[in-house]
Amino acid sequence: MKKRKTLKILILLAITGLLIGGAAIIYLFNMPHQDIQSSKTDYFLTSTQIVEEYLADTQSANEKYLADDGNSKILEITGIINMISEDFNKQIVILMKEKGSKAGVSASFTEETNANAAQLTVGQTVTIKGVIRSGANYDEDLELFENVILEKCDVIITQN
Amino acid sequence: MKKVSVLLIGFMLLVAGNAYSQENNKLVSSKSQIKFHSHTSVEDIEANNYTAVGTINTETGEFVYSVPMQGFEFEIALMQKHFNSDNFLDTKAFPKAKIKGKITKLDEVDFTKDGIYPVSVEGELTIKGVTKTVHEKASITVKSNAVHVQSSFNVVLADYGIEFLKGKPSKNIAKEVEVTVHGEYSQE
Repeated sequence: MKKRKTLKILILLAITGLLIGGAAIIYLFNMPHQDIQSSKTDYFLTSTQIVEEYLADTQSANEKYLADDGNSKILEITGIINMISEDFNKQIVILMKEKGSKAGVSASFTEETNANAAQLTVGQTVTIKGVIRSGANYDEDLELFENVILEKCDVIITQN
Repeated sequence: MKKVSVLLIGFMLLVAGNAYSQENNKLVSSKSQIKFHSHTSVEDIEANNYTAVGTINTETGEFVYSVPMQGFEFEIALMQKHFNSDNFLDTKAFPKAKIKGKITKLDEVDFTKDGIYPVSVEGELTIKGVTKTVHEKASITVKSNAVHVQSSFNVVLADYGIEFLKGKPSKNIAKEVEVTVHGEYSQE
């Protein structure tokens, strides 16, 4: 009699375990991408500030801004629009770069936020929020300064 | 005094002219797509990256592509996390991958004339801090002042120290992944 009871408990435990495990797997598999725009901003900077910080010490800037799992820091960058283009994914790309600055901040919008970027014009000062993908540095092979790259961007403030 | 200033101006013009001609040979691509595709009997995994920057020197045939690794996007968020993690591509420690090489038989390509030019490239591919020599095929398309470069090649992950011996990744991720590159270039 006692044996049967133990067996029953064990089976119940096993089923509960399987259910929790299964739910966890389903959750992990369907886990949504981090929603950048509704997440808290980690740093508020101007385009020149972050470029200078990267050019001064790329390694320590990477340590500060990049995350192991790719969910890197969320930044709000204020800068002057230097160029507006579109990538192969039909996302609008805004380059914020001050005159005389070696590099700038390139911000890619999304299907959802493209319409907001379409309102912007070259020469305007804007604040754009996005997730950092990589920093600025001088690449000897390209013989170019690479820009800071932000993705999943949206416009926060527009000044005239 | 006059002689000195004439010399100086001449020198400055020479320097400026040189800088100009060098700039002129260099095409820059900031519009690009890099896709990787992994196929196994279990599943197909694909990721896209639109953030790479590249250059081609039309005089020497030298080209470079710098790829921000955190710019790869997957449909499944968990896969993207795994891809970035230190047992896969460790993108925090190695934020950029790079291909650097030379177009062989450059004389068969006329960058000023519309057409599709099949080329061979040889160079060095650096992923996760490991550099390997690669020889691949590519095509250059010149169409009304725009230059497009396309290439598709396979990368053996173990060559770059990316290996899964056990568990789900060893079954779900192909040992060899297909990388497709498309870049649009314009004069700097």
